[in-house]
Amino acid sequence: MSQYGFYFDKEKCVGCRACEIACQIWNDSVQTVKWRNVAMTFEGSYPDVSNVNVSMACMHCGDAPCKKACPRQAITKDDETGRVTVNRELCVGCMLCLWACPFGAPQLGIHGRMEKCTFCEDRPMGIKRACEEICPTQAIVTGKIEDLAKFSKQNVSGRLLHDESPGVLLGHEGN
Amino acid sequence: MKKDKNGNFKMISWDDAFSFIAEKLLEIKEKYGPEAVGYLWHLDSNEMFSQQLFTQLYGTPNWSGHGAACDQSRRLAGLMTYGHPLPTKDYENSRFIMLWGEDPLGPNQSLHENRELVEVLKKGAKLVVVDPYRSRTAEKAHVWLPINPGTDGALALAMTHRIIETGAYDADFCENYIYGFEAYAEHIKSNGYTPQWAEPITGIDAKTIIDLADEFARTKPAVADGLKGIVNYTNGFQALRAIFSLNAITGNVDGPGCLILKEAGPLAPPLVIPEEAVAVPQRPIISAEMGYPLAPDIPSQLFPKAVLEEDPYPLKALFFHIVNPAMADPNTALFKKMMAALELSVTIDVYLSETAQLSDIVLPEASMFERAEVRESLWSGPQVIMSQPAIPCLGSSKPLYDIMRGLGEKMGYGKYFQWESWEDWAKVATAYLPVTFEELKEKGVWHGELRYHKYLEDGFMTSTGRVEVYSETLSEFGYDPMPAYDDGNRVKPDADYPFQLINGKMQYHCGTHTQNNPYLMAIEGENWAELNPLDAQKLGIADGDTIELASPIDKVKIAVRLKEGLKPGIVRVVHGHGFGRTMGSVARGKGTHVNPIFDSVVNDISGGIGYNECKVSIRKA
Repeated sequence: MSQYGFYFDKEKCVGCRACEIACQIWNDSVQTVKWRNVAMTFEGSYPDVSNVNVSMACMHCGDAPCKKACPRQAITKDDETGRVTVNRELCVGCMLCLWACPFGAPQLGIHGRMEKCTFCEDRPMGIKRACEEICPTQAIVTGKIEDLAKFSKQNVSGRLLHDESPGVLLGHEGN
Repeated sequence: MKKDKNGNFKMISWDDAFSFIAEKLLEIKEKYGPEAVGYLWHLDSNEMFSQQLFTQLYGTPNWSGHGAACDQSRRLAGLMTYGHPLPTKDYENSRFIMLWGEDPLGPNQSLHENRELVEVLKKGAKLVVVDPYRSRTAEKAHVWLPINPGTDGALALAMTHRIIETGAYDADFCENYIYGFEAYAEHIKSNGYTPQWAEPITGIDAKTIIDLADEFARTKPAVADGLKGIVNYTNGFQALRAIFSLNAITGNVDGPGCLILKEAGPLAPPLVIPEEAVAVPQRPIISAEMGYPLAPDIPSQLFPKAVLEEDPYPLKALFFHIVNPAMADPNTALFKKMMAALELSVTIDVYLSETAQLSDIVLPEASMFERAEVRESLWSGPQVIMSQPAIPCLGSSKPLYDIMRGLGEKMGYGKYFQWESWEDWAKVATAYLPVTFEELKEKGVWHGELRYHKYLEDGFMTSTGRVEVYSETLSEFGYDPMPAYDDGNRVKPDADYPFQLINGKMQYHCGTHTQNNPYLMAIEGENWAELNPLDAQKLGIADGDTIELASPIDKVKIAVRLKEGLKPGIVRVVHGHGFGRTMGSVARGKGTHVNPIFDSVVNDISGGIGYNECKVSIRKA
């Protein structure tokens, strides 16, 4: 079994919401609420303001709390890709998954059934997901979890290569 | 579609439309001369057909892009300094990036630039953003400098003063590649453009300016540039000249990580018109007679003057191709008056824009998915893109070539429009590219080589062959030959109108084109004005209230949002919505059209529109 997932870089996200639109358009036939959402938070007062943009969708958890919470066993985890999906025929809209999910990914659509990111179920694996494909700054990257881990390490080491004062990097990165 | 006597649009055949327009055009040429016809376009590469028809065959010099509402001052500053109208930026290799009123990560998105900028920031390049508004780019910047509106030139000159005073300039480059460096150094010193002088003007303290100048001069390669936030002021041209000169004196020109004097791919005109058939305009382009001889594009906000007062000469017909000055230009009331006075007004567009609704004839053009296009990209090296139709034309729309051909045939120029398919003309246009047509068709794009330091061999395309911090051309036309700080024509807040108005675009919409798109309207369904909470508190205004913005010429009501990331004393309006689109079921009645409160203020050298030259009073509506 492999587990696919999203890599997201908040430093690259410019909050343009193109991922939301791409997600909506690709999944148009079924999507009635946003499966991907860009959360934007601001704090501080003029001139010391800071903010962060985070594009979020379902994390397709390894051990999905929503799956455990569903009394109808409507939520399943795909063996091949690790994607977590809901069978809307079985869903009765009890919203227990909404309470269980730590990321607020499941949403209640207009038909009173849960819907959320399907990792672009009907898109062949091996090409980019809709959100990843559209992202103008490449803040979203998808792939197998182990490849994404490698990718993020490479990102950090690439940065050290350009650092003017190379040394030992302890703990987490700044910013 | 053609308007009937009652002002209602009626469908007519393409043939009737072409006959009607052609007849009118020939009549106008007979009566007033070809220069009484103007053609305004946006950014469409297929414009080569309209250019060939209107200027080369029909003979009007008044064929112009939308520059006046856009980057006019930057384009002219580029021409006067580097001999290049559109310097690009090589972010990828830069170590220090300074952007003035430019927001590449916000509404002015260009894909490769975005990616390069965020990547190079991750690699440790430093970004400084100068803008009274904390833009998307400012959010990512290491330093955000909320400058007083319209004082960017003072900051650039003060940095220059520091760099010259400390000798931190690139002496070799200044000596060998700059024209007038000595005079410029003297000019900066004798005018006393010190950081201390700039402090009260810009609102940025002298110490910060000094540190910034030192770091800019020390860090190589570096790039400084500016865009909309500068060109919207009457002194924007000189400010950009100062910024371009700053790049030059530090030797940051056309090298890796610098401003790049972009080379274009060798595209050829698609129609073959023998030299003897090319018309010679009898009168100069109207901008020259309006008093803007150096303006790259015609100051379109002065068209009403030409139409209504026949000043400097009569203008009887206007064509609008994918431009929407009814929404975009200042003083909407005057624009409407002009449209009513024209003998012929034609809009060619993919949707029924506000300008189209005010026109006599509307010609439906095929969208980018239905037509072919051959164009130069905005990448720093030469790059040609060939897009091909993905679907056949919907409805009765036609690509621009077919429209110009239909018109040309009725005007008696049919023999020059011999191409039957888009492949025919695309082959001619791309004949000089070092790839076969088949290969280009397959790949869709041709990349040339991004060459650096082209000036070492070719020099600069200025009159002296050098970077001109001192411009003989400007001097010849009676303008200040060197970048100077002048806020004499600025419209500043006063007791009656205490707020400076600045403009912005919306990140989620494309100008005035996308307000009928339900996806985008679900994100932002209306436009708004922004105020700092401190100002709002004084005025008793809360977030989400409706306010009245009154300028000396008009007033509008608009929703307000409070923004900590905006300098106090300023109201920022986001443009694009409102007007009561009669055909847009999604757009109708949403938001506020703010342009009626802007007066037609013109940059006196470049002819660009001074959108930010506007003072307003604010009260809760």
